[in-house]
Formats: sequence, structure tokens, C-alpha cells
Amino acid sequence: MITLTINGKEIRLDKPVTVLKAAQQAGIKIPTLCNHELLKPFGGCRLCVVEVERMPKLMTSCTLMAADGMVIRTESDAIANVRRAILEFLLINHPLDCPVCDKAGECELQDAVMQYGPPSGRFIEEKRRVRESHDDPILARNMERCIVCTRCVRMCEDVQGASAISMIDRGGRAVMEPFSSKSFNCEYCGNCITACPVGSILSRLYIHSYRPWQVDKEVETICGYCGVGCSFVAQVRDESIKRVIPKIGLGLNNGLLCSKGRFGYGFIEDSGRLKTPLIRKGDVLVESTWDEALDFVAEKLMKIKDSYGGRAIGGITSARCTNEDNYVFQKFMRMACGTNNIDSISRTGYAATQKYFESLLGQGITANIIGGIKKSDMVLVLGGDPTAVNPVLGLSIRAAAKAGAEVAVIGHAPGLEWYKTVKVMPPLFKEADLLEALLVEVFSARGNRGESHAIDRAVSEFSQEYSGKMDIHGFEELKDKLLKSDSISIIFGMDLVQRSNGHRALFATAGLIHLLEARLYLLSERPNEQGLIDAGCVPDMLPGGRPLGIPDFRRRYEDAWKRPIPDTEGLTLMEMIEGAKRGDIKALYIMGDNPAFNLPDHAFIKESLASLDLLVVQDIFLTETAELADVVLPALGWPEKSGTYTNLERRIQLLQKAVETTSGMDDWSIISKLSSRMGYDMLYTDAENVMDEISRVSPLYRNLSYREISEKECLWPYNGEPLRGEVKDIKVIREKSRDYDADLYIALDKPLFHSGSISQRSPGLMDISPEPRLKIGTQLAENMNLKDGDNVIISADRGSISARVSIDASLNGNILLMSNNFKEKGVLGIMGYHLDPVTKAPGIEGCAITVRKDST
Amino acid sequence: MERFLLRNIENPNSADIEEYIKSGGYKNISKAFELQPSDIIEEVKKSGLRGRGGAGFPTFMKWNFASADKKFPKYLICNADEGEPGTFKDRPILEKNPHLLIEGMIISAYALKAEHGYIYLRGEYPYAYDVLNKAIGDAYERGFLGNNVLGKNIKFSLAVHLGAGAYICGEETALLDSLEGRRGQPRNKPPFPVNEGAWGMPTIVNNVETLANIPYIVGIGGDAYSKIGNPNSPGPKLYCVSGHVEKPGVYELPMGTSLKDIIYDHAGGIKDGKKLKAVFPGGISTPLLPADCIDCAMDFVSMPKYGSMLGAGSVIVMDETVCMVKVAHRAMKFFEHESCGKCTPCREGTEWMRKILERIEKGWGRSEDISLLADIANNISGKSFCALGDGATSMMNSILKHFRAEFEEHVKEKRCRFKQKQF
Amino acid sequence: MLEEIEDIKAKYPDTRAALLPALYIAQKEFGWLSLDAMKAVADALNLPESDVRGAASFYSMFRLKPAGRNLIQLCTNVSCMILGAERFVDILKERYGLLPGGTTSDGRFSLVIMECIGACGTAPAMLVNTDLHENLAEHNIPEILGKYK
Ligand SMILES: Cc1cc2nc3c(=O)[nH]c(=O)nc-3n(C[C@H](O)[C@H](O)[C@H](O)COP(=O)(O)O)c2cc1C
Ligand code: SF4
Ligand code: FES
Repeated sequence: MITLTINGKEIRLDKPVTVLKAAQQAGIKIPTLCNHELLKPFGGCRLCVVEVERMPKLMTSCTLMAADGMVIRTESDAIANVRRAILEFLLINHPLDCPVCDKAGECELQDAVMQYGPPSGRFIEEKRRVRESHDDPILARNMERCIVCTRCVRMCEDVQGASAISMIDRGGRAVMEPFSSKSFNCEYCGNCITACPVGSILSRLYIHSYRPWQVDKEVETICGYCGVGCSFVAQVRDESIKRVIPKIGLGLNNGLLCSKGRFGYGFIEDSGRLKTPLIRKGDVLVESTWDEALDFVAEKLMKIKDSYGGRAIGGITSARCTNEDNYVFQKFMRMACGTNNIDSISRTGYAATQKYFESLLGQGITANIIGGIKKSDMVLVLGGDPTAVNPVLGLSIRAAAKAGAEVAVIGHAPGLEWYKTVKVMPPLFKEADLLEALLVEVFSARGNRGESHAIDRAVSEFSQEYSGKMDIHGFEELKDKLLKSDSISIIFGMDLVQRSNGHRALFATAGLIHLLEARLYLLSERPNEQGLIDAGCVPDMLPGGRPLGIPDFRRRYEDAWKRPIPDTEGLTLMEMIEGAKRGDIKALYIMGDNPAFNLPDHAFIKESLASLDLLVVQDIFLTETAELADVVLPALGWPEKSGTYTNLERRIQLLQKAVETTSGMDDWSIISKLSSRMGYDMLYTDAENVMDEISRVSPLYRNLSYREISEKECLWPYNGEPLRGEVKDIKVIREKSRDYDADLYIALDKPLFHSGSISQRSPGLMDISPEPRLKIGTQLAENMNLKDGDNVIISADRGSISARVSIDASLNGNILLMSNNFKEKGVLGIMGYHLDPVTKAPGIEGCAITVRKDST
Repeated sequence: MERFLLRNIENPNSADIEEYIKSGGYKNISKAFELQPSDIIEEVKKSGLRGRGGAGFPTFMKWNFASADKKFPKYLICNADEGEPGTFKDRPILEKNPHLLIEGMIISAYALKAEHGYIYLRGEYPYAYDVLNKAIGDAYERGFLGNNVLGKNIKFSLAVHLGAGAYICGEETALLDSLEGRRGQPRNKPPFPVNEGAWGMPTIVNNVETLANIPYIVGIGGDAYSKIGNPNSPGPKLYCVSGHVEKPGVYELPMGTSLKDIIYDHAGGIKDGKKLKAVFPGGISTPLLPADCIDCAMDFVSMPKYGSMLGAGSVIVMDETVCMVKVAHRAMKFFEHESCGKCTPCREGTEWMRKILERIEKGWGRSEDISLLADIANNISGKSFCALGDGATSMMNSILKHFRAEFEEHVKEKRCRFKQKQF
Repeated sequence: MLEEIEDIKAKYPDTRAALLPALYIAQKEFGWLSLDAMKAVADALNLPESDVRGAASFYSMFRLKPAGRNLIQLCTNVSCMILGAERFVDILKERYGLLPGGTTSDGRFSLVIMECIGACGTAPAMLVNTDLHENLAEHNIPEILGKYK
């Protein structure tokens, strides 16, 4: 217990903090410039000086630790004089261009000068001049305004961990450089923008477009890009988002964002937005009215249901839609259409993975808060680069590393290159073999946990039969470190599931999690992948993760929904598509996703969709899938929606409508209107109204209201009853991996700057990364004499695409990478797939390609 | 008096390990190893040795703090940055008597249980760099350094780390950042280097001359040592004299020798029989003294009484032909150039003052500029992050104090009357 | 160059500490520190390029622009100044067309004005490459510089 006096006020502290923090806790404000909540004390600007009894000099409160018995004054003539002097110093070279500076109104220097500054300057010499730079995408840098607080540098290095900024030169000649200048490793998170107290670093997205005090409203909402679910404030003017800003203390991202969250909102104003329903007349889609369109769909669906039964209808939903949308969607499918054929693109990764882990390790195994990563003494990363897929989660891994944790990376994760302490590169597409070997080693060192879980049995059986060790670089070290650590976080990326034998990696990882008592985090590329599972948008489970196979659960919902639920499990995503091709599926209703682009083998998918009697697509753009539809219904983008998302931690968060639009309708409301037309009434008044029903019927939540969600952290298991499920028999189909001996292979790249097909319609992100690139290792490029920027044609057995080459030093061997985010340039299109028999996820490994220079 | 620090440097081979051993070198190591580490620190305490880097901090205190910290490994770092203008006292040790320094470091490392040592050498001393590397190599060969020093299974490794032209890196925490491969900017204190220094480990930073005194203290004992020079600030001291004197150079004299004696008896008085005008007694960061204030005793305790500081004992002598505005301007250019830029007052203030001084020297000064200079100086002193800023202001204030008239004259006459006189 | 850097790493408990030595090596290799040279160093030490640039630009003895074959480092700090060091700046300008921070047209010399180089006792003084030349006087300049081609 520390007791000190500040301005006569006695302050008690239970843990040691700086005098500045102590004062803040007591509501006493001390002016600062170089200090920042998220950064270590620096002590450079000298503005925060205070008087400390029995200390001859004034002390900087941001660096001085509060000590018992200290007597401190934060205001006095002496202090005021120093602050005036400091501000005079800062102003001598600071251009007084406030009228044209975008920071005006929220400039910390301006504010400090208002309160303590000199009335006039005595500086008559020539000011320093530095030219404003627009060399970087997104960023405008004006180092003439820089006050050398180095907050941007420290933010970029200590918090973001990108180290793209450094103080250059020294003394008065110092400037903050180099950012990207297109050649450095800037991640365009824009966290330096929020760190900058003056107008030295600004976003070109809003520069010169408005004043911070000229906003109509500020709306707290959730980012709809990835499964982390960062919170931010959207500043809106004339129903247009001017900028989004993270806030310290708001959400799990606590003042940080990534490039997608900060600069990716532009898509909602894209000219391609659908405005009215469209109906196919011959081979063109023509504008129509809601009534006409909904009647048409209702009628068609009824017909198909009557003549073929519900099993001929399928529904594909989206992890960008809210819990409310998804709940209503599955209810509509089960009640109005009479089918359990409900799935989503998440089947290709998260949904398959989540289900497998839960069936082995129990419900809630993935419900771990991201903050826990920082606290672990070892982090094991596999199956993808967290710093690209879930950037803000990635920061916790870097933070853990800085705090001294071991960071082990299996496979390719360039974003952790400076942070990893062990790296193991498995032979191409043989991660499963590596993990199985690791499992056996750990098992023989640890033995199982004794409790007679099915997993214990499975693991020991497996370890007995299994033979064949892995001698690759780093394997032993990795094993030893795992065995030495006692709080391990495993970050599991979806690359390992997008394999025809993905369940092998899943089983081995499950075994490791169990033996090492590790915390599991699933990387999630979409904001609501967990939510759609909990909402029941899976073929085998009802809302709240209740297995459809168990009659009691069905009954429970049948009572609530007042209609029988078909008792056979439905088809999974690919099974529906293949069924469409075969003709067993006559109608597909697709809400908010784009299978014709987001699934492998575009030719095949398009054929299948084309052979349907009815294809209905609900979306905000005329996507590749919508182009094939019989009816297209315009929906809303997440900044226009209210509702809830459940992130990868299973945290439920409130999405609040930031802007009004006339273009479309809420997904849940389109579905309800349709449902009512089909004779199954859905009379929801708003999203909250839907949530009320969910929390009434789903055992997972009990009386969960928006108020509760917005007021306190809403974490698993909420107030509900998770299923303490008995584990089903564990299917492990054990086969050897085949060998991969083609010259070149391609794999799916999950880039930092893009996600799905909306990011390509966001000017901010397009400015950063305007086109897809074929990433190729330095050595390989040399052998193939390819230079950065060369145009090439990439051919695989399912087709060809063209792209420009970019040399990527982090790649080795004969594997190339390309993303699936740009129209007509999605790498998935040319890749074939094989379904994993257990997870039903399409495996896309081992896609051999040829690459040739494009002379045209 | 017999010289210890500069012993037989006239000998052209003084840097050879043979010569050094012949003249009794390295024998104090064996002597030291008979003692307990704590005994050595006790001797250093008795000796009254104060740091020769400028601050004059009692060496045994620093050593005690470091020994009290139980984290290992510990690092011993020799500060050979010698950046203070007018300072060249460490150079003869580095170039001509390197083994004395190495011996000092070995004994100190033993006393401090430090296993690793680095000599942070300024980049401007390429010759010393070669000499030191050779000397260290030879010392390893003879088993004075390594994993088993003199078979006593004591471990001490030593290497030279070359700076690259940054005065601030003489400041011990900036030095550590520079050693770790960063921009050499001062660190917050606490934590102090003795607890969290190089790579977060307990670290002792001592000046070359300080460490070179250690074998002597072990040799003759702390008590005997403490009788040399001023008992409150004892020991032999290297005074380096430059500027307008007949015999500039480095002089090893008892601590407390008067500035007058240093200039007139030892350095042969003012050059070409000119008149003395002013002296920087300890480098340009120490307050300047006018001709009539040179009776002061040059040691850590006396100098403050005369309104200056001993600093590194770097005496810069200026005769009547020197323009004080020009000196202030050049000195300020130095501080501006060397300011690391971390803190506001030093970064902005030194640049501002230089610009003003430049105008005054050119004859474009305004009368209010003189008080403005004083004002800016006061706004820096005591407010900067590290002592570099204070150095700049001591210089400025002391020159204004004693030679304000010269500034006023520049402003009034719009010219410098020394210009033509010079050279 | 890379081998040399590897050896240096061994001297320190942490590779970052090898940065200054590595920059010296690169500067010797390329004559100055271009962005490419600094990138090479960054890769060799697995450090961010920005850190390398930040450090390189902090120290005045690292050259971030091309320099001549021989580098003249002339001290003009107080002790040298009062003994006339500034005259040599003029001389170098008049006789060699060499400006502070500049390079002669034939690329033979570059000139850098130094802060104190610790030769005050034998001022005025300058370093040419790594050789120290003391007690400079107007007449001995040509003979000194003559040694450097
Ligand atoms: C700006 C500045 C420059 C300094 N330069 C040097 C230097 O060149 N050499 C040195 O030994 N100490 C220098 N010091 C003092 C060191 O910070 C430190 O006090 C000293 O190395 C401690 O060694 P000592 O106790 O043996 O004197 C400098 C201090 C400051 C503030
Ligand atoms: S006073 Fe401030 S700016 Fe000057 S050198 Fe010290 S820390 Fe750097
Ligand atoms: S806020 Fe404390 S010094 Fe800048």
C-alpha cells in the first residue's frame, strides 16, 4: 500500500504506478505529449513536470514512480513557467498552419498551448522545413509538424511489432521515417495515426474532407472483417462514414486496429451496391419490386418442396451475417422449407474444425479470451499466419514474445519472423505427419492425463500403432520446449483443415491440446463463424450446439417453433453443391456469401449452380454467384446493420447501425417476409426482437439482452448451460500422406490487406494493395528468371489465371502463393478439391501448376 | 612526483605486453586475487577514488550497488568515448598504456564478479582501436583474459566496441543503448545501470582513467592512495591542457593542483607571451572562468566553490585574441550537433541559441537577443533529460556572465573587433 | 562480408549488438551505406530495416551518401578553432574546391567537419581516413594530402 499526496489530496495505491497515473486515478490532470496509454514511459517532451518535496529539480511525472510518503504539486508558477517554456520550444519549429491542418480540434499540442502556452513567440529565425510526403499508400506524413515525441515509432515497434518507423538523424534534424515508402514492412494498421498527437501522420482517406467537430454522429460498433471482432467508433457525416477510430478501453482491441478495420469500410459506398431486387427473365436479371420478387421465390420454393420434399432444398449462409440473421435463416430452412440442409462457407475451415475439436474435447474448448495469449509462456502457431488472418490477435503473440514467451511456428508465418523462437518447416503438405509424430513423442514423454476420456484412449491407441519419426530441423527443440512450458496457447489456422486428410492434423492437435493442457484459439477469417454455428446454421445441430440427432433437443425446439423438425441430419456445403450437380438438390438459397468465387473449382461450382431449378441469392453486390441466380435480393453491409456477432473467443458483441441506407433490407427481415409468405409466420419487429427469441429458446444463453451485451463482457458460457456432451466415437482414418513430386505447387494465400470479395471494393485497401500477386520465393524466382512485377499465366488442371509476380523472401521451396480476393483472379478457381471424409471440408492441397511469362 | 598512469609512456614500445610486464605490470592482478572481492571494494572505498569521467561519483558506491544486485552475468564497461571537447586525457592510456587499463579492468571485474567486459571506444580513435585489439589479443594469450584467468578459474572476457561519432554515447545509459546496437539515446533512471544495464543485467560503467587507477590502489593500498592530492578528492589526475599555451599536453599531477600552476608551471604559460583571457577548466560543458579566477584547486570538491566544475580536467586556455561570441557560437554548434533529440529543451533550445549566436557574430544581433539567450539557457538548464542540455547552458551562462560586454559590443558595433586580429 | 558479421555476433550475447560493427563492415565494403547496403545488414542480423536506418543515421561517422576515395575529417571545435582550424576549411575550398560535406570532382577527397577528435593537445588536427595529422599548418597541407591518391 503506497500513500502519497498530490495537490493536498491523499491518494492510496495498491500497486506501484507512475505519479502521472496516480494523479489520473485521483482525477488530477497533468498535461502530457510524449506519454501514451499503450506505450512505455519515455520522458522526452518534459511537459508533465511536477514538484516533488525534497527533490531539487522538477520531475517528469510520466517516468517518476509514485513512492510512499511523496508530496507532490502539479500546478505552481514554477511549473507553469517550465510548461510555457517547453511549449515555446515546441512551437519555434512547428508550422502554425492549424487552419489547414486536419488535426486541428483534436491536436494535443494545440490543446496544451491553449492552456499553458506563451501568448506570443520570440523566435525570429528561419523555421525548419520538411516536405510533406505522400509516398506511402493511405498515409500523409508531415514531419514539419513533428514534435519528436516518438509515439509513432514506439507504437509501431513495441505494440504493433512491425518496426516500420524509426527516428532518423538526431537533434533538431530528427524526423520519423521511413514508414513503408513501399519498400519497408509497414502493415498499414494506422495505429501510428492514433498515436500521433499532432498532424504529422494522417490518413489520406479523410484528409481535408471534414473537421473532427463536424460529425453528425459517432457510433460504437464492431469490425465486420475478421473473427477477432474489434470495436471502434465510426464517425458519420451525411450518412457517410468519414473515419473509424479505435478507443482505449473500448473492446478487446483497446485502441488498436488493423488495416482492414481502419481503412476497409469504403465498400458500402461502392457504386456496385444492389439497390432493388432482380429477377431473371431469360438470361438477363431485370429490376423488380420486393413484392414481386418475394412472391416469386415463395411460390417456387413451395412448389419444389411439394414435389420433391424439403431434402431437395438447401441453404447456404454467411459468417458476415449476424446471429439474428443466421438464427432466422436456419429456422426458415427447417420450418418453412422443411430441411436440415443448412451450411456455410465456414465448412471449408472454421465450422469443420470447431465441430471436430468440440466432439473430441468438449463444448467450449475454443472459448478462450485473446488476452490469455500474452500470459502464456509458450505459443504454438500452426496452419496460417495469425498476423495476417487475425491481425489484432497476432499482436498478442508478438507481445507474448516480447514478454519472453517461446513462440514456435510450424509452417509459413512471415509476420512472426522476428518473434519466433523455434520454426519447423514440415515437408510440403505433410503437416499432419509432423503433428502425429509430435503427438507420439509428447505422449511417450508425458503419458496421458489418466482421466478416462475417449481422447485418452484414442491417443494411446494411436501412439502404440503409430511408427515413423520425423527428423526435420527444429523438431526436437520444439518438442522439448513444449514439454518444458506449463501454460501453452495453440493458435490453429485453417490451412491444415483445407486438406483431404485434414482430420489427421485435427486429431493430432486435439491430442496435443489434451496432453499439454493447452489453450486453443482458432483463427477465423469472418466475423461471425462461431455465431452461425451457435445459431444452428449447420446440418447436424440446432441452435445452442444441440445435436439434432437427440430427440429431446428436437422436441424442445419443435415446441418453441410449433412445427416438426426433419430428424435426419442435412447435407454439408459441398454435398449440397454436388447434389445440385446430380439433380438431387433443386433449390439453393444463399444468404450473404459467394460460393461461385469462395469455393475451389469455379467451373464445377458454376455448373452445379446452373443446373438448379431455383437459385436465390441475398447479397449487397452482384457477385459471381448472384450473376447465376434466378432471384437476387439486396441486403445490407455490416456498417448498416444492427445485431450481434460471436467472435473466435465466443464473445458476443453488439453491432450497431452506423449509417442508414435505402439500398437494401436486413437479411433477417427479408427471410421473415419470405417465410410468412410461405405460410410460416415470422413477425419480428427488429433484430433485438430476434435476440429475445434466441435467448428464450436456445439453452446456450439465458435472458441475454442487448443492454446486457453492450454493458458487460458477454463471454462463454454466458448464463446458459453448455452441453457437457459425452464424446462420440473418434473417427481417425489413418493413411500415409502421398508424396508431392511436381515441379511447382500453389497454395491459397490469406493476405493481410484483403478479405473475401468486399475488400476489393474498399478504396483504402485497394490503395494499399491494388492487385493480386503471385508470391514466389527469391531462389525459385531466380531459377525461373522471373522479376518482381512480371506478368505470368498460372495454369492448373482446373484452369488458368494471370497475375503479376512479387518476390517474397520468406518463401522457400517449390510452393507459390496467391490470394482469392480479386474478381477473375481468385486462385481457388483453378484448384481442384477432395472432400475430407470426416470433416467434409474440401481439401485443396497438392495443386500442381505451371507458370509462364505472359507476353501479351 | 612519480607518474603512475603515464608510467614510461616515453618508451616507444610502452604498449607491448612484454614492456608492460617488465615494468612491473600485471603483478597487481595476482595481488588482487589473493584478496576477497569485497576487500578490493573496501580498498577502493578507503582510496576515496572518484569517477574520472566527469561526474566525480564515488567509485566504491557504484561498485557496492552493483555487487548488491544478485543477477548474473554482470558486465563491466569501460567508457572510452572521451567526447568532451578539449578532452584527450584517456588517449595516452589507450594508445600507450593499454595493458594498464586491461589490468585495471581484470581486477575490477574480479571485485565485481563481472564475467564480461567491453571497452566502448570512440570511433575517432582508430589508432587506439588497433592498439587495444592487439593488447587484448596478447592478454588472452598470456592467460590474463579468458575462462580461466591465471589458472584461478576466474572468467573474464573483454572486447572493444567502436562508437561511430556521437558525443551523447559517453553518457552511460546512452552508451548502453549504443552498445546494444541502438540509437544512443539516454535511458530513464531508475532503473540504474548497476541494476539493469547492458542487456538488462547489472552493469558497471567506469571511465578509462578511473579503471586505470585500480591497479595502483591495489598496489599501494587504499590508505596510501588517499594521501595523494586533496584528501577530499584524492589521487593522481590526468589534466589535459590545450589552446594558447606553450606546452599543451596531458599532465599527471596530484588531484587539486591549482589551475594557475597547471597552466603556468606545467604547460609553460600563455603562448607567445600573450595575455590570458579565459579558461574552460573541464571541457566546454563546464562553466568558463575568466583570467582572474584561476587560483582554484582543480578537484571535484573545490571547483564548485569557484563556480565551475572539474569535469574531465580538460583545460582549454584562451588568450586575449579570442572572441567570446565566436567561442560561444562554435561551442553551441557542438551541442546542437550532438543533441540526441530525445528531449524538447535541448533539441530545440540548442538550435535556437546557435541561430541567435550566429546572427550576433555576423553583426545582425538585436539588443534583446542577449537576454533572450540567457532566458533560453535557463529554460533548458535542469529541465533537459540528461546532462548534455545542462552542459550547453553552463557554457552559455558562464560566457554571458563574464563577457556580456563583448556581446553588447557586437550588437552595437555590428561587427567583431577580433576578426582582423585573429591569426 | 557476411562471414565477418557472423564472427562479430560471437562477441555479444545478442545479435543486435553486432549492428554498429556490421555497419562499419558494410561501409568499408561499399564505401557508404546505401539502402541496399543497410538492407543487407538488416538481413544478416534479422533486424527490421527501419532499426538499421535509424541507428545508421544517428551516428555521424556512418555515411549515408557516396563519399570520395579519401575522407578528410577536420576538427574545428574550440581548441582547434582558436588555433586557426577554420583557415583549413578555406584552404580546402580555395585549393581543392572541397566544401564541408562535399567531395572533389575527381572523387579523390571528401570533407567532413568534425567535432572534437581528441587531438586538442596537438591542434589543429584532422583525420585522413584512419591517419591522424596533428599541428596542421598552411604549408604542410599539400604534402599531407599528397600522400592520398
Ligand atoms: C553528455 C555526457 C557525455 C559524457 N561523456 C563521457 C565520456 O566521454 N567519457 C566518460 O568517461 N564519461 C562521460 N560521461 C559521464 C558518464 O555518464 C559516466 O558518468 C561515467 O562514464 C562514469 O564513469 P566514472 O564514474 O568512472 O567517471 C558523460 C556524461 C554526459 C552526461
Ligand atoms: S538533454 Fe535531451 S536531447 Fe539533449 S542529449 Fe540529453 S536527452 Fe538528448
Ligand atoms: S509526457 Fe512526461 S515527458 Fe512527455
